[in-house]
Amino acid sequence: MDFDFATLLFILFGGMAVGCAVSMVVQRNALYSAVSLVGVFIALGSLYLLLSSPFIAAVQVIVYAGAIMVLVVFVIMLLNVEEEARRPLRLIYLIPVAIGLAAVLIGQAAFILTLGGASSVNPRTTNKVVGLTSSVGTGLFTEYLLPFEITSVLILMALVGAITLARRATVARPESPADFPRRGEGLALVAESAGASGGGGVIQPGRTDATGQEVARQQIERNENSDE
Amino acid sequence: MIPLSWYLALSAVLFTIGVVGVIIKRNAIQMFMCIELMLNAVNLTFVAFSSYFGDVTGQLFVFIVMTVAAAEAAVGLGIILAVFRNRESIDVDDASVLRL
Repeated sequence: MDFDFATLLFILFGGMAVGCAVSMVVQRNALYSAVSLVGVFIALGSLYLLLSSPFIAAVQVIVYAGAIMVLVVFVIMLLNVEEEARRPLRLIYLIPVAIGLAAVLIGQAAFILTLGGASSVNPRTTNKVVGLTSSVGTGLFTEYLLPFEITSVLILMALVGAITLARRATVARPESPADFPRRGEGLALVAESAGASGGGGVIQPGRTDATGQEVARQQIERNENSDE
Repeated sequence: MIPLSWYLALSAVLFTIGVVGVIIKRNAIQMFMCIELMLNAVNLTFVAFSSYFGDVTGQLFVFIVMTVAAAEAAVGLGIILAVFRNRESIDVDDASVLRL
């Protein structure tokens, strides 16, 4: 087996992808999992470059490692869930199922590698334009225009769905500046609307109001001190 | 040049790790990330075939898969947020019934 530079890079990034993937599954802390998954994405992006597909590699890093993982990390931080507790599994029989499935799939991979009908495929090195942004764009906007438009509609539906899912029950807002509550009335208004929407008992107007005024007074004093 | 079968084997291994993760994890966000890993393994297969056969169609499909993954991320995380708001937990064992 010849060990040229591309092979070395494949082993490096393939090993990085597999290692990060295993680390992602093994970690109990969701944030560590997310960082491992970013490692997988970056390794896969490098493999796409190795496959002479710079456009997909760039999109991989920007969309996956950038946008999607930021979303995931944001949700992890927002929920602030503690580490998974080590408690007995309810569905304990799933572990042997997982191991069996893994054995089957790894066996398939070994079959591909050893019997290797596919390895006789010779890469068409003559077609250098495949994978460049221009060829991908031409394909997207001519032959595959309909799927492209369908994905844009899909994105719109996902946007509407996500906003609908994540929206809280609305709190009544003042209509015009004249309706803005005066100092001390605001919390009562919020408490009133919260009570109307079924969340009563959370906000206690009297105590919160006094606390807020105290905090505001301290802030004013601190500002005067810092100006001097 | 690296044989095509190496890429396919790597993709199969990554997909397997994703499957195992979805089965053994109970944190909804981690299961979600394992699904992303499976999508990426399939993407690797698409790009490898596209590059080896000199046909750009596979890469267009990867583009569409990425779009679907982004939509899935938005909706899936919205669902996780909604579940957390109702149950104070994102452990899927705590969300095993549809009613509250």
